[in-house]
Amino acid sequence: MITITRLNIDEVLRYMGCPPDKADEALRGQAEACAREVLAVIRPRWSWRALSITLEAEGVRLEGGLLLPGADLRAHLGGCERAAVFCATLGAETDALIRRAEQLDMVRALALDCCASAAVEGVCDQIELQLQGKFPGCSFPFRYSPGYGDLPLDVQSGLLELLDAPRRVGLCATANHLLTPRKSVTAILGVASGEIEQSQKSCLGCPAQESCQYRKAGGHCGIS
Amino acid sequence: MEFRELLRASGPVILDGGMGTMLQAKGLKLGGHPELAALEHPDWLLDIHRAYVEAGTQILCANTFGANREKLRRTGKTVEEVIPPSIAIARQAAGGKALVALDLGPTGQLLEPTGTLDFEAAVDIFAQEVRCAVSAGADLVMIETMTDLQECRAALLAVKENSDLPVLVSLTYEERGRTFLGHAPACAALTLEGMGADAIGINCSLGPREMPGLVEELTRWTTLPILVKPNAGLPDPSGAGYDITADQFADAMAQLTELGVKCYGGCCGTTPEYIAKLCRALEGRTIREIPRQVPAAVCSPVCAVPIDRVRVIGERINPTGKKRMKEALVREDIDYMLGQALEQTQAGADILDVNVGLPEIDERAMMVKVVKALQGVTDAPLQLDSTRPEVLEGALRVYCGKAIVNSVNGEEAVLDAILPLVKKYGAAVVGLTLDQNGIPKTSQARFDIARRILDKALSYGIRREDVYIDCLTLTVSAEQAAASQTLEALHRVKTELGLKTVLGVSNISFGLPARPLVNQNFLMMAMTQGLDLPIINPNLEAMMAAVRCYHLLMNLDTDAREYIAAYGNATVSTSITGGAAQSAAALQGERTLEQIVLAGLKGEAGGAARTLLETTAPMEVVDGVLIPALDKVGADFEAGRVFLPQLIQAAGAAQAAFEVIREHLSAQPGGQTQPKGTIVLATVKGDIHDIGKNIVKVLLENYGYPVIDLGRDVDPAAVVEAVKKHAAPLVGLSALMTTTLGSMEETIRQLRQADLPCKVVVGGAVLTADYAQKIGADFYAKDAKESVDVARQVIG
Repeated sequence: MITITRLNIDEVLRYMGCPPDKADEALRGQAEACAREVLAVIRPRWSWRALSITLEAEGVRLEGGLLLPGADLRAHLGGCERAAVFCATLGAETDALIRRAEQLDMVRALALDCCASAAVEGVCDQIELQLQGKFPGCSFPFRYSPGYGDLPLDVQSGLLELLDAPRRVGLCATANHLLTPRKSVTAILGVASGEIEQSQKSCLGCPAQESCQYRKAGGHCGIS
Repeated sequence: MEFRELLRASGPVILDGGMGTMLQAKGLKLGGHPELAALEHPDWLLDIHRAYVEAGTQILCANTFGANREKLRRTGKTVEEVIPPSIAIARQAAGGKALVALDLGPTGQLLEPTGTLDFEAAVDIFAQEVRCAVSAGADLVMIETMTDLQECRAALLAVKENSDLPVLVSLTYEERGRTFLGHAPACAALTLEGMGADAIGINCSLGPREMPGLVEELTRWTTLPILVKPNAGLPDPSGAGYDITADQFADAMAQLTELGVKCYGGCCGTTPEYIAKLCRALEGRTIREIPRQVPAAVCSPVCAVPIDRVRVIGERINPTGKKRMKEALVREDIDYMLGQALEQTQAGADILDVNVGLPEIDERAMMVKVVKALQGVTDAPLQLDSTRPEVLEGALRVYCGKAIVNSVNGEEAVLDAILPLVKKYGAAVVGLTLDQNGIPKTSQARFDIARRILDKALSYGIRREDVYIDCLTLTVSAEQAAASQTLEALHRVKTELGLKTVLGVSNISFGLPARPLVNQNFLMMAMTQGLDLPIINPNLEAMMAAVRCYHLLMNLDTDAREYIAAYGNATVSTSITGGAAQSAAALQGERTLEQIVLAGLKGEAGGAARTLLETTAPMEVVDGVLIPALDKVGADFEAGRVFLPQLIQAAGAAQAAFEVIREHLSAQPGGQTQPKGTIVLATVKGDIHDIGKNIVKVLLENYGYPVIDLGRDVDPAAVVEAVKKHAAPLVGLSALMTTTLGSMEETIRQLRQADLPCKVVVGGAVLTADYAQKIGADFYAKDAKESVDVARQVIG
């Protein structure tokens, strides 16, 4: 059971395209009100599974046969023998809240959308902590999702199936491999029984890279 | 014995237990395909089915849960290869002792509006399975583990349109008593019984101990037999197993006979042992017969509205006499209609009437589009308003829930054309008390027509509770004697026929001064005569006040809670015609319109614009005040002095002012402005992240550009068609994901191929100027402000 009781409003403001120190009281107040609304409507659900992994020439092979292709994840999971694969969603009602707001007030819609993004990150952080607790004495590179580096989005449906996600948490992928409900994540958390070289999450491993709106503006998203 | 006989017989009907968990126990590997068991491990499947029959199962679900073409795609097998052997093996195991059901599980994709799968596409996926099962000789269909009522509807419709087989429908609920999508058991019950399911119920997700509350809720809303197929307790999030034993399962299930449950089985984690013990526990127990009284009610997937008090139907989504709505329909400005919907529900409407009939548009296509869009943003049930059967059928197909059809009348041909649709889609229907001879003058003649409509509806198998009668309001300035006839007929329909009543109220005062006075009093008189469903403008406070007062005075508003919630802090003007003057007085603000836009004060902008229009020409307000103010905000945004939220706020304030100007112009004959060139916007095929595009839309509209917003996940061909239709000089395309840049490129290619003289501007998080050029776009806009710059350059 995951419960989120507060959101980092500075992070929300940053997602909204406003440097936190430039936000006036009204905007900050609106972001806070939206955070409360989002926290009241989200229903975080998740599902996970520990799997052994094999690093192959084409990528990472999960127990059961699913191949996660590409060099980046393979490099990222160097030293890991297992992975905790998980998915998480805030649920369809969060999407509906944002959709409704878009008809009435775009700033509020933007704030709600950004609060939901912050909330799903928060949910994943908690899941990551809980999962780490299940592997005492192990080391973990940061969680990695389809769309990072060269890991394609088309692995989404395979991951969801492995996690029985549609039935267990109501999470599906569209024909174009986007997760629905929208505020959802799938991720692979490597598990190494020995020490590994810790890598920090950075812009270099990010799928947005040069096109990132924060980087274009000379900053970063604050996730790392 | 046939399934329908089993249902009629007195004892319980025993279903089977888990299949997936049984296959895993047999040795199905992680990553293996359970759907292919009939082809890869027929011996396992035969064993499992046989064990269930020996345990006492009377209905076997064939192993077809995931045997739809979407889920089979990755296995390389077809529906036609998988379903017949799956049914044959179940049939062999049944050995004449059990019936065999086609098991229909979810497609694995979410339907609109949460997902992108189109309703008709879902119907088609299920229809293929049903046709295949019919030729393979299935005895019945079990639709199960659904979390989306709309997907249930698609499956049920596919069964009904492709077979005569009996059908059980089961959804899966969370502990809070809702599905993952938030859909309610009450809504499932109303909708699925209406559409002709033979039994409905609950499976998966929860254990038997969580069933009673849900079962009781279902029995309040359906007269159908109830089925339960819970898991072996609650699952562990890691997938390790379930928490109750076969004995505990059987005990808990046997208690459900007290609640009148008819069909018993198990889902994940249950085995033949669970079913055998269940059978023993049920032996000698009688299923308690509880009389059920289902109220007249309509619903969306999340909200059931029983007609047990006055329920307000909002009348605003209707072009009759509304220039702005007509304009929105012609321009396909769906957002305007959604705004009208939300405004009405906020004002207190329980149900929304939807009428999009205009001679110059394709009414069916528009109706379908509007109904889908409305259900994406409002939970209020809808009243589908058209006289054309093809329009009503289009709307009824895609409407998720139990709708109201508005309307039929006493004319035989009309009844025979529309009532079958009402029955097929499980709607309620409004009957107007008129016929080929027009509106009768007397209350007696109207009452007679009401009775004729009721009899005809009953003969089509429509429930009495689902027939609502409209005794018709005539304009009292033209026929003063008519109002009392309407009220008398209404009273008789209510008391003598026992039917719910509907009435459009506002017509009463046409041509009179101080119309709100007449409307409010007529509404109050009608309610005291038994009016259940007034069709009114809920934005008029006087009308909602009458409804609230009626509930208060008739003791329908317990402890006056709603009345006090509405008026506890309000200063109520006793003049009910003074609304306009009041709001004009409220805007004696000191701020100028320019300051208001700069500060992004949406609430004040409309009033300030109205004041300014008293002394200034409309276009002067636009060109002299609004555009310069927006330009200043835009320049500040570029310079990093204000940020995206403030930019949108300013645009929102300007939009409110534009709305007032637009109304002002359309109220003057020949007062239309020369509109600027139209801009078509779309989030490309495959992409569902459209908030950026929506922000761009707000900005462009505020610079006076008419925008045709095609939404998200838009087919390239639809973009080409819209550009042609509106002769748009500029197209804006957005994509957030790298994976959908390909469809952006394809859209541009198709626009070029069609040789359209339009420019293309692209934007979205993953795009760069270089990439935009590479895929053939004319412009790249890095943010919403730049898209306005592009529009100015292209259109002026």
